[in-house]
Amino acid sequence: MLRTASFRLTALYVAVFAASALMLGVAVFFVARSALEQQMMVRIDTETTFLREEFRTGGMDRLRAMVQARGRGANALDFLLRDAHGRHIAGEMTTDAALRPGWTTIAAPETPEAGGDGKRPEALRTLVSDLGGGLLLAIGEDQGRIADVEEAITQAFLWTTGLAVLLGIGGGALLSRAFLARVDAIARTAEAIIGGDLARRVPVRDTGDDLDRLAGTLNHMLDRIGALMDSLRQVSSDVAHDLRTPLSRLYQRLEEARTHACSVAEYEVAVDVAMREAEGLLETFSALLRIAQVEGASPRAGFRAVDLSAVVDSVVDAYRPDAEEAAHRLVATVSPGIVVHGDQELLTQAVANLMENALRHTPAGTLIGVELSRNAAGDCLAVMDDGPGVAPGDMLRLVHRFYRGERSRTTPGNGLGLSLVAAVADLHGATLLLRDAAPGLRVTLCIPRAAPPSN
Amino acid sequence: MKVLLIEDDAETGAYIARGLREHGHVVDHAPDGRDGLMMAVGGAHEVLIVDRMLPELDGLAVVRTLRGAGVKAPVLFLTALRGVGDRVQGLEAGGDDYLVKPFAFAELLARLNALARRPPLSDTPIVLRIADLELDLLKRTVTRGGERVELQSREFGLLEFLVRHADRVVTRTMLLEGVWDFHFDPQTNIVETHVSRLRAKISRGGRDPELIHTIRGSGYALRAPNS
Repeated sequence: MLRTASFRLTALYVAVFAASALMLGVAVFFVARSALEQQMMVRIDTETTFLREEFRTGGMDRLRAMVQARGRGANALDFLLRDAHGRHIAGEMTTDAALRPGWTTIAAPETPEAGGDGKRPEALRTLVSDLGGGLLLAIGEDQGRIADVEEAITQAFLWTTGLAVLLGIGGGALLSRAFLARVDAIARTAEAIIGGDLARRVPVRDTGDDLDRLAGTLNHMLDRIGALMDSLRQVSSDVAHDLRTPLSRLYQRLEEARTHACSVAEYEVAVDVAMREAEGLLETFSALLRIAQVEGASPRAGFRAVDLSAVVDSVVDAYRPDAEEAAHRLVATVSPGIVVHGDQELLTQAVANLMENALRHTPAGTLIGVELSRNAAGDCLAVMDDGPGVAPGDMLRLVHRFYRGERSRTTPGNGLGLSLVAAVADLHGATLLLRDAAPGLRVTLCIPRAAPPSN
Repeated sequence: MKVLLIEDDAETGAYIARGLREHGHVVDHAPDGRDGLMMAVGGAHEVLIVDRMLPELDGLAVVRTLRGAGVKAPVLFLTALRGVGDRVQGLEAGGDDYLVKPFAFAELLARLNALARRPPLSDTPIVLRIADLELDLLKRTVTRGGERVELQSREFGLLEFLVRHADRVVTRTMLLEGVWDFHFDPQTNIVETHVSRLRAKISRGGRDPELIHTIRGSGYALRAPNS
């Protein structure tokens, strides 16, 4: 716990707070002491002036009476009146030291009636004045009173600072423990996931604080990784499944040639068939690799300006004879001069795949429409047909690798065409939309227009 | 024809070298980029076949260096994995053609032949002639035996490609790349359909002798009837 960031922060904060409290305390201490001393000296000074005035007007008797009267009382000053020969005339201050006019500090034994505790010899701040003819008047005040105040201030500060430090440390510990508990929860989740429980997610407390945001981001990341793993698993099993059939077919053909073929001609036929089968397998592998490469490509790397209108024209052109041969009606409406930022090869292939799908999975006489236009959603290519369409349940699965609708089982193809289109769309930040054109299918690929360069 | 093959995979290298020698070519085989570079500089080869992934010095760097050193022999890149944008990168480095493994040997041979005899651009003629077929590249018109044959623009492109490679085998993928700029293998036989349409047009419905011949297992070749 002592190693957590929050505890360290709290400790630092407490230390800074304690230091500033201490500085404040020292300042208060010295200001208070100097003010108290000042006040004491003013009081003694005033008393001296007053008594000097009494002596001048009332003489020695009056002075003696005043000294005795003013020396009584709880909060009284200490007085001493001495004649020129050092004899004690009046006052309770007892000292044998020689006195000289001016400020001095006299250590006087505590008088029992003053209620002292006897621990500390009384230190008297004293002003000695010569009233004339060697008559000395000493007026002093106990410095212990200032010391008491000083002690009170010091204690108050020590107590409050100590308490604040204790509270700070305690609070920091509590905070750290709460923080640690949540970090531990994240760590435990991560460990569970490492251990194989891929469905585990970091608990989110819905407080919207930073840890919650972190947890949310982590969960999002985990979801993404999970989806990728699922798709990877799906792909591997699809690959294994879909390639096993042609491979075993290839094997059977070769085996059959080995056991039954008797002439060179028969062998040649068998080899030709095997080569075609292997070619098909290689094509499927290439298509898979291509999809993987497109999916793994860094977006926009190697992107250039591509004349999409020319690309679409060229693809339509390339497929027109085949479409006519298959008695399809092919109608293309291509707005000229639509230039996008992208990869020409991939875009060409995507458009060709869409065309091939439309041609291949519709019966003769179907109207196939190709449209390229610029609208609010970006530059949109739509390939549509008025053929039998796709069952709504199958719509989402069309882009899955190797997925082939029930009716397409017998037509040639590897079920990878739309997967590649989806991958290309993804690479270009484009949206691929498949919807029922009632009748038929309409596939729309919209490439958002790149934001104008900021410079 | 003297060919330099820079290929690190011994089996592929031997397969290509054997095939080329069988077709009467002289083959120098370098197992890595550095050796290949040495051999290419002094070798006076007509065509270079360069694998992209090579130990020591990769294929792109080899070709870039060669082009920098003034070696002008055409280069055919071979690659095992075709990543997005790799082809363009290869061509920008100074390559002339690009072939993805695995490939049919006939494909490699046809492409090498096409590269080796590619005429320099400066003396490209304005009119191409083969037998009684004439292509005017400026007006983009075609005549057969002096009579005009109406072709669509793409058909003209296809015919021009075939005439430029006359007497040589042109594969399906070469046509796809050269005529349509398709660098992938469509599932539909679009080339066959286009070629058979073109064939019908330039033989004027079978009245004139056939010029475009199908080479089984390889592709097509345009030849004068008596050659």
